[in-house]
Amino acid sequence: MAGGGGGMEVPQRVKRGSKAHKRKKKKRLGFRLDMTPLVDVAFLLLTFFMYTTSMITPQIMEMTIPKDIDVDVQVDENKLFTLQIRNDGKVYYNIAKDDPVVIDTANLRQKAVELNLLGKAKNELITAFKADTEAPFGMVVAVLDILNQAEGEITLQLSKEGVKRKRKFAIVKMEPEDQAKLRGL
Amino acid sequence: MPKVKKHRVGFAVDMTPLVDVTFLLLTFFMFTAKFKSESENEQKFQIKRPQASADTSKLPDKNLAVIKVAIDTVANDTAYYYAILNETDRQSVYQKMNFTSEMMLKSQVKANIDDLDKLILQTRVANYKTSFAIECDRRIRYKWIEDLMDVMRKRNATIFKFVTEKKSGGS
Repeated sequence: MAGGGGGMEVPQRVKRGSKAHKRKKKKRLGFRLDMTPLVDVAFLLLTFFMYTTSMITPQIMEMTIPKDIDVDVQVDENKLFTLQIRNDGKVYYNIAKDDPVVIDTANLRQKAVELNLLGKAKNELITAFKADTEAPFGMVVAVLDILNQAEGEITLQLSKEGVKRKRKFAIVKMEPEDQAKLRGL
Repeated sequence: MPKVKKHRVGFAVDMTPLVDVTFLLLTFFMFTAKFKSESENEQKFQIKRPQASADTSKLPDKNLAVIKVAIDTVANDTAYYYAILNETDRQSVYQKMNFTSEMMLKSQVKANIDDLDKLILQTRVANYKTSFAIECDRRIRYKWIEDLMDVMRKRNATIFKFVTEKKSGGS
């Protein structure tokens, strides 16, 4: 438009000048932006991430099993605390050679603490854990978890007395006769 | 005299705070979102982890081998699955196992107990620092774990981790 021709220049200038005088100067008061599409997209993404995020993060339980050894280890049976899980998930316990008694998982922690602290075999109790081959794995982990919790309590109690805790715990294979005996109860 | 009704021509709401909050939440969810790993994408099962009390220890993300015991929802069949997270370790283990080229691409392999024995051995040879995690469905019979622990004991992988989930409700 700048190269409109020399002849046109003069009247144009006059016209522009006269118009500028007439026009009211608009004062800018900010501007409005339509935010609707932005909000739409933001909500869409928000709902997507909300639905896809799982708040449950996996955690772990440390396990250590003994190495493969051929030598039979002799244990004092009087200090043996046997914990068994039956095929239906019920937990049984017995001391030494007593008959297995059913125990509710809610009381198990208390029982384990008591036996380790108050019994004859204080801090020397050996816990043997056996699970039926048909027992659900969830139950096995639940019992191990309870024992771990009890362990914390025992260690705390003993440290108050100035005694160092020696944990003796083993996962033992359930013998067929144990299995038959438990299932018959 | 009847009042003159004012004609409404729509109204404007200030959306700024709404947008602020939405973007705040959006960024939060975006940063916390953790996407499924490659091996989880391939699998046809979902593991219901056993529940345990709250623990702060998390799965390591380096030098990890995961042994999964799960129920396949399609075939309704329990099986072991083996996944090595480290790419280079995985390749060297697969090569030792004489896998087919199709199998080489998989980040997770289905294995029976004998394969698992070899896989664990080869993993330990490839990278002795590998730690093992057992991710087992809580409904699975203990027998599967017992057999697995026998194998691990045989291969001297005596320290491992059970993958659990925080118990919902209660302590």
